[in-house]
Amino acid sequence: MSKYLQVFKISLEQEFAYRLNFIMWRIRNVLQILVVFFLWDSIFYFQGRELFGYDRDKILTYVFGLIFVKAFVLSARAQDVAGEIGRGEILNSLLKPLNYFKYWLTRDISSKSLNLFFAVIEFGFLFIILKPPFFFQTNPLIIFLFFLCILIAMFIFYLIVFLVNAIPFWAPEMSWGGHFLVTIILVEFLSGSLFPLDILPQNIQNILNLTPFPYLIYFPLQVYLGKIEGLLILKGIIISVVWVLVLWFVMNWIWKKGLKAYQAYGR
Amino acid sequence: MGKNLKNTSENTVIVEHLVKNFEVVEKKGGFLDGLKNLVSPQKKLVEALKNISFSISQGELVGFIGPNGAGKTTTLKVLSGLLYPTSGFTQVLGYAPWDRKPDYLKQISLVMGQKNQLWWDLPAIETFKLNKAIYELPDSVYKKNLEELVDLMDAKNLLYTQVRRLSLGQRMKLELIASLLHKPKILFLDEPTIGLDVVAQQKVRDFIFDYNRRYKATIILTSHNMEDLMDLAKRVIVINKGEIMFDGNLKELINEFAKEKVIKVYLSKNTDMKEVEKIGKVKRVNFPQITLSVPREATAVAASEILQNFPVADLTIEEEPVEEIIRRIFKGEISQKNTSVPS
Repeated sequence: MSKYLQVFKISLEQEFAYRLNFIMWRIRNVLQILVVFFLWDSIFYFQGRELFGYDRDKILTYVFGLIFVKAFVLSARAQDVAGEIGRGEILNSLLKPLNYFKYWLTRDISSKSLNLFFAVIEFGFLFIILKPPFFFQTNPLIIFLFFLCILIAMFIFYLIVFLVNAIPFWAPEMSWGGHFLVTIILVEFLSGSLFPLDILPQNIQNILNLTPFPYLIYFPLQVYLGKIEGLLILKGIIISVVWVLVLWFVMNWIWKKGLKAYQAYGR
Repeated sequence: MGKNLKNTSENTVIVEHLVKNFEVVEKKGGFLDGLKNLVSPQKKLVEALKNISFSISQGELVGFIGPNGAGKTTTLKVLSGLLYPTSGFTQVLGYAPWDRKPDYLKQISLVMGQKNQLWWDLPAIETFKLNKAIYELPDSVYKKNLEELVDLMDAKNLLYTQVRRLSLGQRMKLELIASLLHKPKILFLDEPTIGLDVVAQQKVRDFIFDYNRRYKATIILTSHNMEDLMDLAKRVIVINKGEIMFDGNLKELINEFAKEKVIKVYLSKNTDMKEVEKIGKVKRVNFPQITLSVPREATAVAASEILQNFPVADLTIEEEPVEEIIRRIFKGEISQKNTSVPS
């Protein structure tokens, strides 16, 4: 266990090594939220207007909730895995008594905790400036379920990233392409990090709800906002847990094959 | 394959009839060819190792030499568990390397001159601490090992500097320390002196030599650096095109491969070089000295011919130097046992 504690420590130090980079990235994050905030703020400019079942308070809570959920879920160091494979640096880890999956999971968690810390600061900052109407959930059961969903979401995202990052085992030049396709297009678009998914037509939503993507951002936030209740929460949790299991098995299978291909190939 | 075999002899490394084939997708430059490749990849079988056998005892320091693509690195990767062999028997310290059992990995280390394990943005001491945790070293052992290694490498003042601010030679020192903190019983070194300046090379060499002697560690080293081999390895394994050409004492290399002798002539007067070229291959002209190489069996005839036909002040006959032989091995000119070099 102390192995991974040390991995956690060194990862944190590594994050701090690129201070300027880190700051720029946080600024980008804040700007992104501002854009989405002002977009929705202007749409709901008239008092009492309600669209897609959202009033101004709830949509702005959604936008502010994004800060947290994204910091928890969508930050992953493991995106560097593809590069490690492509450059052959993975060999350094394979030579050691170290579990590569746990190694990157630990690095992810360290990155996430740092993000969360800054997300709290940014939240406070934006809250003071914009004075948005924020919906504070008070039901402890719902808050518990919200955090449970977040935990599941973290695992789903980590597994997706780890899976996509295995591509260079077979196609070393694909390291960036896979990342782009999955994390930029699929995740950003389909997870609800740009808009709440229930503004989409119902039949598209029905299909989306069977994929793992809504459970990354949209679903946990809906749980928090109290827009999903009772059995529907249970259904969502079951579907997302099934996805964790499916992705876990696929990931293991792909990595076993990938390492074998790599060991047969030898770069 | 031999998973449950006990190590019955003092041999640390046993390799028998090892074969390793790679399937390589051939890639051509053009866009159309690229598309064609996507549909039906042109696969080519590369025989990296063709049935090689050798064994190495504990505490030996063995050098692998051969031209690029001979199979040296492939051999090291098989031994350190990074590659599955296609067939054959491989056992290191009683383990099948590719199982990558933690107990095995804790006893070995592979240093690749071209791949770094140090965390680039942090001081090296952080990587050391990480390795301490990964190899589960107790505090006291870690402290003692680190102190010894730092002392041996003379690297005390480098530990707390960001790695990216260090020179290549300084980094290599620290890479070696990072790889040796857990005191591996076997050390695989792949081009450890690549890119280093002469002084740094010598330091790394001295270190490897000391480490081998001090801890009775088995060291297997590949290098393109002649000095590395001359300085360090008593035993060399010459490998070319996936086959072992020679396995034995460095000095025996000469008997095995030197099929020429070197005649040095000091002329008293200038002479027509064309005439000299008829006798043997002219290696160097630095008037009044001319260096010729001639086939071993023709040495006597050549020497007497020179003495008769040229104004000779002095003449010596020498064995081909080891460096020259190794150089020829690197060039791939020695491709078969007991054949002379085509001239």
